[in-house]
Amino acid sequence: MTAVPGVWRTARITPLGELLTPPRMTGVAVQLVIQTVLVVALWRGLYADTGPTTAGLSREQAVTYAVLAVLATRLRELDRYAGRDTVMQHMHFGTIVYWFLRPVSPRRYYALRALGDQLYGLAWAAAGYAVCLAVGVVQPPHSAGAAGAFALSLLLGQWVLYYIMLLIDQLCFWTLRNSAAMLILIFAQNLLSGVYAPLWYFPDWFVTLSAFLPFQATLNVPLSVYVGRIPLADAGPQLALQAGWVVLLAVVTRLVWHRAALRVVSQGG
Amino acid sequence: MDHRSAPWNAVRVAWRITKLNFRAQLEYRAEFLLMIAIGAIWQVSVIVFATVLLTRFSGMGGWDSADVLLIAAMRMMAHGLFVLFLGRMHALAYRVQEGVIDAFLLRPMPVHRQVQLSFFPTNAIGDLTVAVALFIGALVRSSQEWTAGRIAFLIAGVLGGMLVEAALFTAMGSASLRYPAAQYWSRWLEELLGTFGSYPLNVLPKALSWLLTFGLPLAFVAYFPAGVLTGHGSALGVPMWLAAASPLIGLGLYLLSRLLWSWSLKHYTGVNG
Repeated sequence: MTAVPGVWRTARITPLGELLTPPRMTGVAVQLVIQTVLVVALWRGLYADTGPTTAGLSREQAVTYAVLAVLATRLRELDRYAGRDTVMQHMHFGTIVYWFLRPVSPRRYYALRALGDQLYGLAWAAAGYAVCLAVGVVQPPHSAGAAGAFALSLLLGQWVLYYIMLLIDQLCFWTLRNSAAMLILIFAQNLLSGVYAPLWYFPDWFVTLSAFLPFQATLNVPLSVYVGRIPLADAGPQLALQAGWVVLLAVVTRLVWHRAALRVVSQGG
Repeated sequence: MDHRSAPWNAVRVAWRITKLNFRAQLEYRAEFLLMIAIGAIWQVSVIVFATVLLTRFSGMGGWDSADVLLIAAMRMMAHGLFVLFLGRMHALAYRVQEGVIDAFLLRPMPVHRQVQLSFFPTNAIGDLTVAVALFIGALVRSSQEWTAGRIAFLIAGVLGGMLVEAALFTAMGSASLRYPAAQYWSRWLEELLGTFGSYPLNVLPKALSWLLTFGLPLAFVAYFPAGVLTGHGSALGVPMWLAAASPLIGLGLYLLSRLLWSWSLKHYTGVNG
């Protein structure tokens, strides 16, 4: 019975910090609006000089994809640095040892923090989606089946993203710092998952390369399913691939947690 | 101290601190190499994005690919120089949180200079490497005749772009002294500059391109100087003289931002009140 309040208390740490800082929330709202307006204007402007369809994407599909990609970045943007609760900071200050001394395992604590962060981000993304849908900036999914496949694919995509972020944080146990690796990851994720531009516009070699990496599973697959660029009939293998990444990364990160625990020393050993 | 040698001494001290900072960065070898990579990867991603747009869409707002490349190259070079010389304002909110600014106020060196000398920006090496490559590529592909006057304006345009970016982040840094949430805006601003700073703004509706000219002076970073150089002066949406004055506007904005910094620093109250 005590597990649920414990989960809740851990998961709500970052969202609570955000709610207690109105300027941050105002900032997020203003930035989302401006970014969305700019992205819509950019893609509509680009399509105005070209044909109605490019790389298999119509203007409406491209705008929907791009806007959803902007909204999806909210799922990843929460700041744990200000609260000094990143792995890198704990390694720097030596407080990482407390993660291993608490009744909650570090693996569980990390997962619960991430769950709270991503649910809070999802609330922002969902609110933004509702507004965009109401004003006609994004199209609704083609069918109930497509909506269901999108929801499942988004869940798997966020799961993959969680493990990738965890892996980068785990790097700190060996390198002490990971700020550069984290920045590389964010740029790689932006580029290879379709945040900057839908992957369908990229050259074939680029699309083939990204198929071997986990990044396209985080966003390109769910968004392509949503806009209908991946037909519902073809969604199965893509979902299976996402699930495959989840399993693989879960095994790897679990193994790394184990190895990391062996490296942590308390009070000089 | 002899007052005539004071500026020279300041340069010497700054150089010595920079050398020490560089050695400090080498302490974490993997982080050092990754930081160089990050600069390169970020800039390469801008190039890839630009290439994709130019390949898939027939021209951007009437600009051919060589001219768009010049905007991207000027923006990237300006950004690389900004990161190298004036870019330490990004993480200022964290320095405020750590109470480091309070210590800076006690030392016999201007706080702004101490912030700039607080660490060596390793990622600038990667930024500038790719920027130089793109810059050479853009100049080779350009059909313009590069007279001495044009080259002088090109250099002035890049330096002006650097100062516009420096002005924006100095203003953000000034806000960080009082509002920790300014960090959020700073990160977003960097993304915005990277995404919309490298393309012709006439692709956007007039209201938005106006906003990115007079609301947030992004157009002065590279779009206007490149427009003047490539003969798009009449289609920039502003009078030609204003576009041509971009380097001076950059200088003016930077001086204004430094005044804002000085004012903000006077009103700074540390974490201990």
